Amino acid sequence: MLRAADAMDAAVEPVELIAAAAGGDLAAFEQLYRQFSPRVYGLCLRLTGQREAAEDCTQESFVAAWRALTGFEQRSRFSTWLHRIAVHTVLARRRGLRVAHEVAESATGLPEVADPGSEAPLDLERAIAALPDGARHVLVLVGLYGFSHAEAAQTLGIAEGTCKAQLHRARGLLAAALGLEMS
Amino acid sequence: MNDPWAKPLDERLANLPRDIAPPRNLWPGIAGRLQHKPHRARPLLWAAAAGLAGACVAGALTWTVLKERLAAPAAPVAVRASSFDEPHNPSYVAARASLEVTFRERLRLLDPATRARIEASLAAIRQAHEDIRQALASDPGSPLLEQLWQSTWHDELDLYDNVVRATQTTMTRT
Repeated sequence: MLRAADAMDAAVEPVELIAAAAGGDLAAFEQLYRQFSPRVYGLCLRLTGQREAAEDCTQESFVAAWRALTGFEQRSRFSTWLHRIAVHTVLARRRGLRVAHEVAESATGLPEVADPGSEAPLDLERAIAALPDGARHVLVLVGLYGFSHAEAAQTLGIAEGTCKAQLHRARGLLAAALGLEMS
Repeated sequence: MNDPWAKPLDERLANLPRDIAPPRNLWPGIAGRLQHKPHRARPLLWAAAAGLAGACVAGALTWTVLKERLAAPAAPVAVRASSFDEPHNPSYVAARASLEVTFRERLRLLDPATRARIEASLAAIRQAHEDIRQALASDPGSPLLEQLWQSTWHDELDLYDNVVRATQTTMTRT
């Protein structure tokens, strides 16, 4: 039975590409990159709130995935496994593990993501980026990318109850920031 | 979820695109860092031994050159044993401990700012290692956590090795 994070990504698992890449086929791994990088980049961007950091984390994530690919046992979907690597990469970066690659946060800390055709998504993106780290991480993982509370709690190294509380907090802050509480 | 704003908020969240294309092609930067699957590279023990051997060469330290060498990207140790029994291998642990002694000796030779930066990096690596160890304790079967735990173990050794080698070349020359 697939978990939430798996269920949301119903695309057919690229088993052959994964196997080829695990065997050292760089072209196959590039195809995996082409297929999965938009989701990984989106995840990194929303977790970091900063474009350059998201680019670095996306690259780090795929490098780490390449190195770890032989250990991928397909107990979860490839995308789920890759997303966990991306989350750990972002968290490690925040801890200063990769201090040499650290970049300054932008003045606003807002993501440079926008749907040119609509102001509303950008408002929401900004409101998400302005959330406190703990609340934002949980909202992004659980509210956007389909992690279960148990998965998110384990990945973030927090208690499941804390995860739920952070989600509740994040949603309340978002509602206030977007003026939804008044409507 | 009895809040009246819950539904409109959920709708807005649901409408956000999950996929966002990177603004530039990140693949060249990734491909440039990938090796062609060296599953079995030089054992890490030998890397540690190489660092120890290098530490035997005496000499004086030229600060400017040292800084340049520390600033330059260090060659990776590039050693990732496919079976991770290093923490339980007495000879490996002894070699690693010796390398740490050399690292500590060399660290004392560095200027305070560089030393502080390296100490901060080491503290961050050790904190991450401990965090992951605790996570592993509650989820011992996680291959990802195991991989990350190995990674921090190797990151610490890489740091030792980089400092020893960065100072080594200078000491050899002078």
